[in-house]
Amino acid sequence: MKRLKDAIDGVDLNRFRIWFQLAMFVLLVYGGYLAINLGNHLPMFACGFNQEGRGGICYLMPLQHQLARPWPQLFGMASLGVLTGFGIFWLWFIFLNKGWCGYVCPLGTIQDWITALRRRLGVRYARYTQDQFRHLSRVKYVLLALMILIPLGIGGGWFSRDMGTPFCLICPARMVLPLFTGDLSHLTVDFSSKTAVAMTVLGMLITGLFLTGAFVKKRFFCFFCPMSALHYLISRPALLKLRKDGDKCTRCGDCYRACDMEIKAIADDVKNADIMADDCILCLKCVAACPEPGALKATFATITIFESTEAGFIKRCQKGIGLDQPKR
Amino acid sequence: MTNPNAKTAALPYNRSRQAREAETMLDHITDDFDDNPPSMAYFYDLFRRAYCRGESIEREGVRVGTTCIHAPEELIYAFGATPVRLCNGSYHYDQIGADFMPAKSCSLVKATLGMLSSENAIPKTGKLDLIVNPTTCDQKKKASAMMAGMGHSVYELELPPAKESEQARVYWQRSVREFAVRLRQLTGKKLTRKNLMAAMAKTSRAQVAFRTLHNFRRKAPSLILGKDVFLVTNAYFFDDIDRWTDAVERLNAELAQREKDGFCAAQKKAPRILFTGSPPVFPNLKLPLVIEQSGGVVVADETCSANRMLYDMTSVDEWLLNNMVDSLADKYLKPCTCPIFPNNDDRIRRLLDLAKSFAVDGVVYQTFAGCQVYEMEQRSVAEALNKAGIVMLAVETDYSPDDLGQLTTRIEAFLESIKTRKRKAT
Repeated sequence: MKRLKDAIDGVDLNRFRIWFQLAMFVLLVYGGYLAINLGNHLPMFACGFNQEGRGGICYLMPLQHQLARPWPQLFGMASLGVLTGFGIFWLWFIFLNKGWCGYVCPLGTIQDWITALRRRLGVRYARYTQDQFRHLSRVKYVLLALMILIPLGIGGGWFSRDMGTPFCLICPARMVLPLFTGDLSHLTVDFSSKTAVAMTVLGMLITGLFLTGAFVKKRFFCFFCPMSALHYLISRPALLKLRKDGDKCTRCGDCYRACDMEIKAIADDVKNADIMADDCILCLKCVAACPEPGALKATFATITIFESTEAGFIKRCQKGIGLDQPKR
Repeated sequence: MTNPNAKTAALPYNRSRQAREAETMLDHITDDFDDNPPSMAYFYDLFRRAYCRGESIEREGVRVGTTCIHAPEELIYAFGATPVRLCNGSYHYDQIGADFMPAKSCSLVKATLGMLSSENAIPKTGKLDLIVNPTTCDQKKKASAMMAGMGHSVYELELPPAKESEQARVYWQRSVREFAVRLRQLTGKKLTRKNLMAAMAKTSRAQVAFRTLHNFRRKAPSLILGKDVFLVTNAYFFDDIDRWTDAVERLNAELAQREKDGFCAAQKKAPRILFTGSPPVFPNLKLPLVIEQSGGVVVADETCSANRMLYDMTSVDEWLLNNMVDSLADKYLKPCTCPIFPNNDDRIRRLLDLAKSFAVDGVVYQTFAGCQVYEMEQRSVAEALNKAGIVMLAVETDYSPDDLGQLTTRIEAFLESIKTRKRKAT
C-alpha cells in the first residue's frame, strides 16, 4: 500500500495529464463513431455541434434550449425536465469537481496543446496583473447570467429566436471542435437575419481571440468560461477536492508559479483547508510542484489520492541533478 | 587605517590571536564530544585549513561576494562566476569593524566590514570582483557605501521592503533581472537556458543533500549534533559547491548507517532544541556549542546561515530563460522568513511546524546586540510558541567571549527546566 502511494505521489503529473487528456479528447470528439454516447448533461465543453464525432454533449446546450421554452410551459410541467436535467448534470459534476476542466474538457485540452506549441517555439507566456486578474475573473459570472437570462427573455417573447442558445453561438468550441471531424460548416457567418449575423460574427471574433489568446496566455479562455462559474457555485459537495494544510506551507510560491490560472491564494492562503478557487481547473499541477510533504493534496470523498511529497517534488521539478546517476 | 593588532601582525598567521580564536572553537567542537561522525573530518579539516592555518581556498574565475542569502547564487554560477558568502563570525574582525559602525550595531555586520577592510582576509577566498549587497536591513544597506569606500566594487541588489504583495514580487523580479545584466557586464558572458539550467542543477543537488541531512535530524534519539550541522552549512559559504555536496552526501550515507545501527549521538533524554534568530557563523558557534555542551541537542534551526539558506527549492513551470529567472526570484523572496519584512507570520508558522515535526522541547532565540529586527520580533514569537506549549529562551549576545559563563548558566537552567517539565509530564 505504501509503495503504491509513493508511486502515485511520485508520478510525473504532466505526462500523465497529456495522455489522460488525449484519451478523453478522443472519447469525446471521436467517440460518436464508436457509438459512444455519454448523454447530454456533461459538465464540460463536449460540443454538440460536432454532430458526427461527439461522444456526449455539453450541458449548457440543452440548458439554454430548455430555458428558451415559452414561460407557461417552462414554469409548468417542463420545469420538471429542467430540474432532472440539472440533477443529472450535478451528479456528473460532483464526481470530478473542476477536474472536468483540467482533465476532460476538450477545449481545455486544445488550449494546453497550443501552450505546448508556444513552449516548443520558445515564446514566453503573458501574465495578468493582480488588478486585471480580479476584473477578468468576474466576466464568467456575467456570461453565466446572460446565458440564463437571454433564453428566459426569448421564452418571454422579448428577444428573437435567432438568439437561441446565445452562449453556443459565441463559444469557440462550436467552431473549433467540429474541425476535428472535418466539419467546416460552423466557420461561417449566418446572413439569415440581423441578429444571426451579429451573433455569428461575434462568434468568429471570439474564436480568433481564443486561438491567439491561448497562444500567449495559458488557459486563456477558462477565465471567461460560464461553465467554470456554474461549477464553482455548486462545488461544495463535490467528491474530488483540493485541500491545503496551511501549517505545513512555507508560502514559497512554487504552487503559484505552476498555476496556469495564476491563482495567488494557492500559495498565500494558509487559513482555508478547502483551497479550490473559482478559477481553478483542478489540474493538480500545484500539488505536483509543492515541496512540503502533505501541504497540498487531492482527496476523493475524503480519501487522499495524490499528495505533495518531497521526493515527488525533487523527481518532478529538479531537472538534471543526476540523482539516478552514480556519484563521483 | 591602523591595525589594532600591530604587535601581533609580525607573527605568522597560525600563531595570531585570530587563528587561535578559530582553533579554540574548532577544538571544542571536535574534542568535547565523543563519536564525531568520521565523515565530518572533511569539514573539520576544511575549517582548520581555512581559519586556523590561513590556507588559501581561492577559486578560478570571477569571484562574487554576497552579503546575504537573497543574492541568487544560481545566476552567479550560470555566468561562470563563483559566489562567496561574506557574512563573518569572527570576534577579531568584529573589533576591527567597530570603527565603521555605531557602538550598538550587529556583530555580524561589523565583522563582515572588518574582514572586508583587511588586506589578508580570512578565509582567503581571493580578491572579489564584485560584492552583491541586497538591500535588506538598515545596517547592511548602510554598509554598502563603506564597502565601496574600502575599494570594493559593490552592487546593491534592491529588495522590496515587504514581500507579500504582487507589487513587491514584480519589483523583485525586475531587480533580479537587473542583477543578471550586471553579471553579464562583469563576466562578458551570456546567460543562456543551458548554463542557467546547469547552475540550478548544481544548487538543487546541494539542496537535496541538505534536505536529506535535515530530515535525519527528525529522528529521536539524535543521529548527529547541531554543532556539526552548523559547521556543514557554514562551509557552504565558501567551499566549492560540488565538493561540498559530495561531502554532505557521504555524511548522509553515514547517518543512514547510524540509523540502522540504532546509534545515539546524544543522550536519549537530551532536551531537543530548535535554534532561531541571529545566524551562528563560524567561529561564533558559541551558543549552539554551549547548548550541546550542557546536555541539549540542537535538532533544527531557523537561521539564515543554515536552514533558511538551503531549504527552500525552486520550481519552474516552463524551462524557458525568462520563466527560470522569475522562478529563482520567487524562491529568494517569497518563502524568506527574515525579520526585516513587516509581517512575521511566516516565521512563526515555520517555527511551529519545525517544533512539531522535529519533536522539539524548547526554542533558543539568539539576538545579536544591535540587531533590532530580531529583538522586535522576539515578543510575538515567544507568545506564539508559548501558546503552543513550547518554552523559549531569548538570549542577547554578540561575538565577544565575555558572556560565556553567564550564557552557560542560563542555558543549563533552561535545559534543566525542560528536563523537569518532561519528568513531570511522564
